[in-house]
Amino acid sequence: MAFAILALVAGGFIALAAVGGERPALLSIGPYLWRVLAFSIVQAALSTLLSLALGVALALALARRRFPGRGAVLALLGTTMVMPTIVAVFAVFAVYGRSGWAADILSLLGWRGEFSIFGYPGILIAHVFLNGPYVARILLDSLSLVPAEHWRLASALGFSPAHIFRHLDWPVLRAELPGLTGLVFLLCFKSFAIVLALGGGPSRSTLEVAIYEALKIDLDFGRAAWLSLIQLAICLTLMGILNWALTRPPTPHTVRSQVQRHDARNRSLKLFDAIVLSAGALFIAPLALSLLSGLDNILEIADADLLRAFLTSMTIAVLAATIACLLALALATAARRRRVVLRSPRIAAFYDFLPNTLLAVPPFALTAGLFLILRRFADPSSAGLILLPLINGLAALPFAYRSLAPRLLTAEERYGRVAASLGITGVNKLAIMDWPLLKRPFAAAFALAMALSFGDFGIIALFGGQDLVTLPYLLYERLGSYRLDDASAIGLFIVLVAFLLAHVSGRLSHAGD
Amino acid sequence: MLVIENCRLTWPDFTAEYSMTVRSGALCAIVGPSGGGKTTLLHMIAGFETPESGKLTFEGINLLPLDPAKRPVAIVFQDHNLFPHLSAAQNVALGIRPSLRMSGEEHRLIEETLQAVGLSGLDARKPGEMSGGQRQRVALARALVSGRPLILLDEPFSSLDPGLRRDMVQLVGELRRRRSVTILMTIHTPEDVADLADQMVFVADGRVVASDTPSVILGGSLASRIAAAVSDT
Repeated sequence: MAFAILALVAGGFIALAAVGGERPALLSIGPYLWRVLAFSIVQAALSTLLSLALGVALALALARRRFPGRGAVLALLGTTMVMPTIVAVFAVFAVYGRSGWAADILSLLGWRGEFSIFGYPGILIAHVFLNGPYVARILLDSLSLVPAEHWRLASALGFSPAHIFRHLDWPVLRAELPGLTGLVFLLCFKSFAIVLALGGGPSRSTLEVAIYEALKIDLDFGRAAWLSLIQLAICLTLMGILNWALTRPPTPHTVRSQVQRHDARNRSLKLFDAIVLSAGALFIAPLALSLLSGLDNILEIADADLLRAFLTSMTIAVLAATIACLLALALATAARRRRVVLRSPRIAAFYDFLPNTLLAVPPFALTAGLFLILRRFADPSSAGLILLPLINGLAALPFAYRSLAPRLLTAEERYGRVAASLGITGVNKLAIMDWPLLKRPFAAAFALAMALSFGDFGIIALFGGQDLVTLPYLLYERLGSYRLDDASAIGLFIVLVAFLLAHVSGRLSHAGD
Repeated sequence: MLVIENCRLTWPDFTAEYSMTVRSGALCAIVGPSGGGKTTLLHMIAGFETPESGKLTFEGINLLPLDPAKRPVAIVFQDHNLFPHLSAAQNVALGIRPSLRMSGEEHRLIEETLQAVGLSGLDARKPGEMSGGQRQRVALARALVSGRPLILLDEPFSSLDPGLRRDMVQLVGELRRRRSVTILMTIHTPEDVADLADQMVFVADGRVVASDTPSVILGGSLASRIAAAVSDT
């Protein structure tokens, strides 16, 4: 299965490179490449820096404070991971656009200046909106794992707020930040929909957008192949570092008892936290609330176009989730066999790493390559319906694998020897031994994969048109024709479905067996 | 003298009310069933739980208005006593000053205390590189180096094997004699401390049911209840 995935990816790239024909020299796209590369790196670095700053400050402030509605705030922070990027684009337009809320308020205050959201401002706002809360949620979870005994010791030993940061908070942040930095940088480096919509022109392109333009606008497959190769090399290097950074000793387990941090009583920290939480709310709340503006129009947009787009999105999401979960199950079973039965931990580690490497693969280049192969065997007009679930499924594979692999190992540890002694193997082993432990994480992974695919605005940009319209594509069309009322309602609808699926996934993940 | 008089703590599903005295310099073993309120009693003395009524004094000083850091109390837990990013010596040093800025004399004191608990030469080791018994010795060294006269040990050796556990109990008895500290220790195996403890307290259902010498407690009418409590755990 691992080799099948690798062959699929490699085949796509070879097909893309082969059709380039004249194989353009890398030097011929040199200046363009440098410009795109520099923009990709600078915007990703700035986005990462700002997202981490917001995430760390929010996590520490929320760890120290208890207030009514805190639970709802935490739930909101956790959902930005599945917030479709195209919806975030809409939110940025609605709040900071030329006729957005911010412009209205500034106008009321008498400001007559010009402010353009296109370029760095819009891209950074959207990236920080999506990633900052996610960073905060991950860090807050890790901070809550500090053993209650450490807090009691800190209290008994008279730790000041500075000592608490040094001995309790910082070790957690130091362990989490390298991995989070790499992940956020990677997501921003590969950013597509946000840069396409908010970049403001060809001079503001990431590698991902440049690959899309080479394929869709210029039909320059050779350039697309070169750009893809460079993006793949950079992302794989980063993934390698990420994998190394994320490999750390397991966190000590403790009972999650509610411990009151005694630094919460410090006056300076009270003021600092109030400023951080207010600033965070001021930044996140308008963007999140802007989506609710679609409530007024949600009934008006219910027409045949919307229904067709919804059904298409749902079909693609179900197929993508099926592909992601079945591939994850096959890979995780192989990894378990290598790790436990055949005692080959290195090969097992390769299986563990493989799903993550798919995050590094440029989806447009892979799609184009697979399209070139597919058109020989199938009707090119139906290629979108085949490739969209496949590529979305591969994109969701890392998340599905992370959900299923640990449970399969647990099943082996609990019942592996009994099954071996009774001669239970293959499908019987899966049904009798694994499935009872696996069904909830499988359903959770399925729902999450559906949520990720449902709101995705990536490959659909290549295939979208009269014959193939998903909800995110419909939203993009409406934004492009400045039908903001329609766009707000569609955005709200997408978010509601994606959040519902993510909520189901979260509930299933945390439910007992 | 540690004096606890009618100290009452209430939760929705549990009420505890403690009254007992412990003579200064004594080693007092606290036994009883799981969930009976032994740890709550220590947490109350340490200042992690605040009674709604009652009196709590040590050497005549009222402890109740004092923050945990201001009380003359050091505590060792069953687990998670050490900060994993600090060395053994640094973990001990936290008992003197959390900033970890030590004078030459304080460095020597830390070295001597580590030696006293049988860890000389291991001062640079991180907790992850030490055995369970060694980690508990480091925690004990920190409690001693803090110079606080009342030491609370909350089932500190229950995760160790029986042989090591008895060695550690012997070490506690020896340190108590040399350092003249008062020690309260919750324990699941009363026979380990029967020869060493001056006093044994049986705690169940959030109350001090009996307090006397170990021979009286272990040989009296509570013997079967204690045996049942031990076998439950």
